[in-house]
Amino acid sequence: MTLHIPALLAILTMALVTYLTRISGYLLLAGRNLSPRMKAIMDIVPGCVLVAVIAPNFATGHPADLLGLAATLLAATRFSLLPTMLCGVITTGILRAVLG
Amino acid sequence: MQTTSPTSRQDDFWPDFLRGVKTSLPLLIAFVPFGLLLGSQAVQKGFSIVEVPLLTGLNFAGGSEFAAVGLWSIPPAILLLAGVTFLINSRHILMGAALAPHLRHLRRWQIFLLLFCMCDEVWALTLTDLHTKPGRRFSIGFYAGITVCLYLCWVIFTFIGGYSGNILGDLTRYGVDMAFPAVFIMLLKGMWKGARNALPWCISLGVAVLVYHLLPGAWYVPAGTLAGILTSLLVVRSI
Repeated sequence: MTLHIPALLAILTMALVTYLTRISGYLLLAGRNLSPRMKAIMDIVPGCVLVAVIAPNFATGHPADLLGLAATLLAATRFSLLPTMLCGVITTGILRAVLG
Repeated sequence: MQTTSPTSRQDDFWPDFLRGVKTSLPLLIAFVPFGLLLGSQAVQKGFSIVEVPLLTGLNFAGGSEFAAVGLWSIPPAILLLAGVTFLINSRHILMGAALAPHLRHLRRWQIFLLLFCMCDEVWALTLTDLHTKPGRRFSIGFYAGITVCLYLCWVIFTFIGGYSGNILGDLTRYGVDMAFPAVFIMLLKGMWKGARNALPWCISLGVAVLVYHLLPGAWYVPAGTLAGILTSLLVVRSI
């Protein structure tokens, strides 16, 4: 149950950096009126961010993981969040057990 | 841009809060095992049991926390950790920008408090909710409901993970790690507005995959996002 000063400093620095990334987008745009074109772009951007974050899942070379991802995508087109997650997790688990 | 706000908004707080909690509950399938995993990894890397919830509570950005634990040393390399944290979390800048137009009716201190908790899931669920009904206003209650649920869960379960060590073993062997992309895919589905999105998203994914293979570290996130934005500049011009 100890707190080390260097660790504390590192944690506080990371927290500060993260908070700055969270407020700077707002500060840049606050009070500005966006053109319709900018609005249309800002509608597309969030998806670009999310898809880039999960890119490593698509980049994998394991067939079980790729098939599991495909099953998750398929489930997502028909089901809501909870069944989709269960589908993805269970299918991937089985595929990994079978395919190794 | 101060507008007069309808008084009924105050009354909507608790119903919206509950709606937020309900919306976020399925995400706990991903948050609980990942929290336990992060906590136990952190302690193995030399975090003390108090430092784990301190990291996850003050930072509250899972991706950068896993990276920080991976790069952790004693004493920690602060500049390296700050740089990687920025690289992974730079997407928040765009996320905040996308949310900004919806926050105009709020007070500044409220906004700065809300933004402290803006993780991917909170942000995406909020935007999706705003888009489901045209003309719907940003609801503090809904945002707070999601945030409180996910934040408490994250801090508590990372702490338990640190405290109990590796009780669950490596859950990712079984497929639990697929819960994370599943959440993101569902969030993307909520943002889908027809084929116009498809090209920028595909370019973003393609470039991110390529950069992930070519460069070490988290460069794939900003690189993919940037490629997607450039594509959307071209796509939107041609409407």
